[in-house]
Amino acid sequence: MAQPQPLTEPSPDAALIAAWQRGDEQAAAELVRRHARALARFLAGAGAPDADLDDLVQEALIRAFRAVDRFRGQCQFRTWLLTIGGNVLKDHGRRAARHTVVPLDEGLRSGDGDPHERAEAGEAEARLAVGVKELPRLQREVFLLRAQQGLEYGEIAAALDTTEGAARVHYHHAVKRLKELLQ
Amino acid sequence: MNDEVRLEAMAQRLGTQAAERLNVERTTAAVIERLRAEPPRASRWSWMQPTWLRIAAALVVLVGGGLIARRAFVQPGNGGHAIAHFVRDDLTDLSRDQLREVLNRLDETLDLGRTQMSEVDLENLDAQQLRAVLRSLEG
Repeated sequence: MAQPQPLTEPSPDAALIAAWQRGDEQAAAELVRRHARALARFLAGAGAPDADLDDLVQEALIRAFRAVDRFRGQCQFRTWLLTIGGNVLKDHGRRAARHTVVPLDEGLRSGDGDPHERAEAGEAEARLAVGVKELPRLQREVFLLRAQQGLEYGEIAAALDTTEGAARVHYHHAVKRLKELLQ
Repeated sequence: MNDEVRLEAMAQRLGTQAAERLNVERTTAAVIERLRAEPPRASRWSWMQPTWLRIAAALVVLVGGGLIARRAFVQPGNGGHAIAHFVRDDLTDLSRDQLREVLNRLDETLDLGRTQMSEVDLENLDAQQLRAVLRSLEG
């Protein structure tokens, strides 16, 4: 009698995580290749300064690999990684606040950076970037996970350890604020 | 609704340019290098933290339980209530004449107490006051 086939293959990420837990560096490298750019996009969208983006991505990945034993598969590995990125960015913001007088978003408003890129992004997108950065943390993360990363509310709720209803409310408040900002 | 669609479309582009500039291979190499260089400490903390939390919780339960037990068994007003209760029981057994005698004794004792408070020295008492003191000592 033939053995029944599993209905779903184990996710490739899960297999890579298991391999990394056994000490396979190549598995860790593959996970970085898969998710580093999405993580960078999330962090940049949340207001990470360009100059620090590479360091922040590295730090989030290192923290994730160190804490991977605590990842129970409650959400996708990428979603979990993005929430760790949110923590890394929060810590970075605290350190920056201690060492700098001018808030980071002042830099955005003052028109620093490449003028060509700013023109490309457009005035509305620049205002949106500032608005997203000024949102309360949970609203910002829910908004980015939903609107930028295209995740379902259930996935977002599992990653942020909240309920689906609460995630919807945070998203609703974020959208309301951002619409007001853009009008 | 259109505003929301527009907002989501813009949100999808947020951070795209910065992310495109990320050198993924260089980041990968740097992460692997750091993982090799920095030995993991998380596993030690993962069991240390719950251990410390358990110890702290046990201490809180111990101290809190002790305080609650102390309050339950050692009430400051209990002694006074017990004495009053016994005195009341004794007085109910007395006849009217005996009660009157007790009240007189009480008045005399209180008068004597006031005298003692003001003059302190027994040598200053007259004969009648000394007799009252003696009677009160006899009970």
